[in-house]
Amino acid sequence: MLGFGKQKQVTEYEADGESERVYHEIKQTLRVTGINLNFRTWAGYEKFFPAMWDAMRPLAETRAFETAADCVRAEAVRAADKLLRLENQSRAALGESQAYQLRAALDLYQYINPKLLVFTSAVKLALDGAQPERGGKASADVELIERGVPARMYPMEMVSSEPEEERIKELFEDIKQTLSLSSINSDYRTLALWPDYLSAGWKKLKPIVQGDEFKRASDNLRETARKLAHTLPFPVPLSRERLEELGEDADEIATTTEKFERLLPSLIINIALFSLDWKTPETLVQSPFPARPRRNAVQGGAR
Amino acid sequence: MNWREFQSMQRVAQLGDRFISYLDEGTGEPVILIHGIPVWGYLWHALTPALAKQNRVLAPDLLGFGYSDKSDCFDRSIARQAEMIDAWMDKIGIERAHIVAHDIGGGVALRLATLFPHRVMRLCVMNTVCYDSWPIEAMLQFGHPETRRKLSAASAITMLKQALKQGFAKSPDDELLDSLLVPYTTEVGKLSLIRNAAALNTNLTTEITALLPKIEAPTLILWGEDDLFQLVKYGERLARDIPGAQLVRVKDARHFLMLDQPDEVAEHVSAFLKGEQVETAHAG
Repeated sequence: MLGFGKQKQVTEYEADGESERVYHEIKQTLRVTGINLNFRTWAGYEKFFPAMWDAMRPLAETRAFETAADCVRAEAVRAADKLLRLENQSRAALGESQAYQLRAALDLYQYINPKLLVFTSAVKLALDGAQPERGGKASADVELIERGVPARMYPMEMVSSEPEEERIKELFEDIKQTLSLSSINSDYRTLALWPDYLSAGWKKLKPIVQGDEFKRASDNLRETARKLAHTLPFPVPLSRERLEELGEDADEIATTTEKFERLLPSLIINIALFSLDWKTPETLVQSPFPARPRRNAVQGGAR
Repeated sequence: MNWREFQSMQRVAQLGDRFISYLDEGTGEPVILIHGIPVWGYLWHALTPALAKQNRVLAPDLLGFGYSDKSDCFDRSIARQAEMIDAWMDKIGIERAHIVAHDIGGGVALRLATLFPHRVMRLCVMNTVCYDSWPIEAMLQFGHPETRRKLSAASAITMLKQALKQGFAKSPDDELLDSLLVPYTTEVGKLSLIRNAAALNTNLTTEITALLPKIEAPTLILWGEDDLFQLVKYGERLARDIPGAQLVRVKDARHFLMLDQPDEVAEHVSAFLKGEQVETAHAG
């Protein structure tokens, strides 16, 4: 079972002080409507969390970071395309508006999850004492991307992690058990807004995620993310020593980070599998929310 | 019809960067049903079947409400909602429609009838906000920015259910209250509703007071006469200000008259939309 540390998660609704500040900056910098499980868990380490974010933020707003995530996304789609299709028939019962919103929710996670993986790999590298091979570039030479949530991005709406509805509760338990999770990810909590759809999709997905081909694809994706994290342009001023200075449990944080790095590739492929029911692989390898360069955006580049 | 069935029947329209969900049932002259706060299009589920026998019934969720766009950074005022209805009518190819509206939806309808009169064939408002009748205290408090932090989504729903109960003449069952509030059970839903409440602004009805006597659309004002949120005296004033308007008091009904007395309300609205005289012993 992948436990995510001993600290309690900090939800967006509960965040205040530094956590609230960092959550705001994460949404602006990563261009996302909500805060995923990684960050909610890391935020439980209240000294580590702002220090980690302040160390990572310069990287997270670079084109290199965005491009790395784009590569991860494309590889995940190609890998998912080789697996069995979910062909989730319950999508037909959703109706026009709910289908529209479900597709928008999938786009949200299709966009943010690869960024989370590259981010997590970069944090892990730093905690392992490794640094990007090309780290140390002058910031003036590095292209930055625009800030802010894309106008049409779906809000990160999700059901409670402890839902009242019995069938959703059972579904979450099954997902957690099968994927060895201690907490249910935002993605499944969002898909649970459409419980029939998630239930039918999970029934198809469950045997796939237990297969060797899926595990190989996940391992490969993790390796890709690590390699890409190595190529990012800045060093990350974060280390176990720094965490100890802050009075945090460096081992526990490193373990938690490693668990996220292990979990995210399969999550990315799962979302790609759900998305392949709605879009072609050729469309899905593209970023659903391409980012403009920040300088052009400032100078009034076309929307 | 339960809320899931209603939700699965909703269609979607993209309006610029925003989207709205709406019900589109039946054929005939179009009638647009506009809900208030803190509910969504499901408010009309009991009225829809009767109206759909004679009209094309369109029931949008206002921006920020129900299953329409609940993201951040857009105007949720009744002024913007009226503009949204105007743009949406263009989008779905409707030039003119009857408007039936409740609570702040009534505020939207009054703005449509005064500022977009070419859009409105017949106007029916029910326990509508108007003049300086709003926002009521509960919504004023709910719209405070700190509410987000003070109330979890679950606590907000509990509080809203208590408040909503006062809007019914007979105690409604839990399932109905849950269904009216279901889009707001998530943190995103709660936050969106808080933003909607924060956007309530009396000035947007007081500024059209002088235009009310210019409304040319035939107007029916239905009022659950025991309403504690929007007092019937406001309905009386509207009936005086809008030329030819008929006020019908609905007995044994409070704010949610279409749920307290669904058959009577359906009968009045159907007759009005057909251009028939609304017969009632309680006409004001």
